[in-house]
Amino acid sequence: MVQHCIETNGLTKRFGKKTALKDFTLAVERGGIHAIVGSNGAGKSTLFRILLGMATPTSGSAKLLGEDSQNLSAQTRGRAGYVNEEHTLPLWMKAREVTSFQKSFYPLWNQEIYNSVIGYFDVDPEQKVAGLSRGERAGLNLSMALAQAPDLLVLDEPTLGLDVVAKQSFLEALMFTETDGNTTIIYCSHQMEEIERVADELIIMEKGTLQNNSSPEAFVERISYWIGDFVNGLPVSDKIPGYLSAKKIDGQHHIMVADQGADFGQHLKNIGAETVSQSSVNLERAINAFLTKNHNSPDSRV
Amino acid sequence: MHMSKTSTVNIQIVTGDTRPIFKQIVDGVRMEIAHGNLATGAKLPSVRGLAMQLMINANTVAKAYADLTAQGLVEARQGLGLFVSEPRQLLSDDEQEKRLKTAVEAFVNDVAYLEFSEAEILARIANALTKLGNGSAKPHEEN
Repeated sequence: MVQHCIETNGLTKRFGKKTALKDFTLAVERGGIHAIVGSNGAGKSTLFRILLGMATPTSGSAKLLGEDSQNLSAQTRGRAGYVNEEHTLPLWMKAREVTSFQKSFYPLWNQEIYNSVIGYFDVDPEQKVAGLSRGERAGLNLSMALAQAPDLLVLDEPTLGLDVVAKQSFLEALMFTETDGNTTIIYCSHQMEEIERVADELIIMEKGTLQNNSSPEAFVERISYWIGDFVNGLPVSDKIPGYLSAKKIDGQHHIMVADQGADFGQHLKNIGAETVSQSSVNLERAINAFLTKNHNSPDSRV
Repeated sequence: MHMSKTSTVNIQIVTGDTRPIFKQIVDGVRMEIAHGNLATGAKLPSVRGLAMQLMINANTVAKAYADLTAQGLVEARQGLGLFVSEPRQLLSDDEQEKRLKTAVEAFVNDVAYLEFSEAEILARIANALTKLGNGSAKPHEEN
């Protein structure tokens, strides 16, 4: 039994002068739902393309379900599913034709799972794909992806553009369908509410590097929010360990930092704060603080 | 077998809170027990059931249940599910003292600017505690 379903080591990918992945080392444990968050261009798509053997790394290595991504067997490739936000399907086929076509490729196809997932959506099997709503296509895609009983399923922004009802059906089908429990789900999303509801683990990528791989709660605990009175202005950021961002509000500096202990307040006093207080953060603020690192408001140094 | 029917847990969770969802469940169940809505011996919803009710990942509910079990508020009965435990002292005297102090400070801070007499405020508290009944706050015991 392989321990990790995804494993990369020093993975680097350059496109000309642009570095999409930089010495990227990640191990994703089997089981559960792992959310991946990152700004556009953080390297998510490049990572999946390499993992699925559709692109070659500049250096470093990547393993999918224990097998080198550059040398995937047809069998391993068949155990990994990928659903993106486009929910592209052949428009001229009827829903049931798409399903039976897909079914023929997967020996492990589980019709019970298919029926259970599609039950969350109102898809008429006789309807042509062209006539299905975006939510119905998403449902059809998810049903087929889960019915393949994959060991790994990558969902890339799957609920983008879905209405409230379809989104709820999608999340319920994903979380509550009784599968054999061996599918590891990688869930890419920008929607914090979804992440909070579905994610067991939170992976954060920024500019091609790994910034976090832990439970969402453990991640939030890494971030702290301080408010200080710096009468002579805020010192440069390299004097502030773990610095993420700062904002000046009503004459006070609001500072977000990572990985600092309770003595950080004293440190702020040592570098010029007259008074210091601490505030709490939620998941969304903690993630945003990371993703917007070094994007200061214009007056933060005043 | 008694009380094998699952009790309804009337808790709400919100996203975007500074408390993680599993903590909101722990706090919610604790309040339900304190208010007597979940009596001793009451059966909690299954992990999957509560996850579906709250529309969250089942692992999050499992984590909350593990926490409640570790605190001694609920206990697992082999193959039957999770049940509310007999009340017993779960926290050390020091910890109880600390929590009471924090709660009183927060309360006093909230009521300090209101125009009620001390007697009125005390009467209200006494009333609220009586309503809690057999919950966490016990009537004064004679020595």
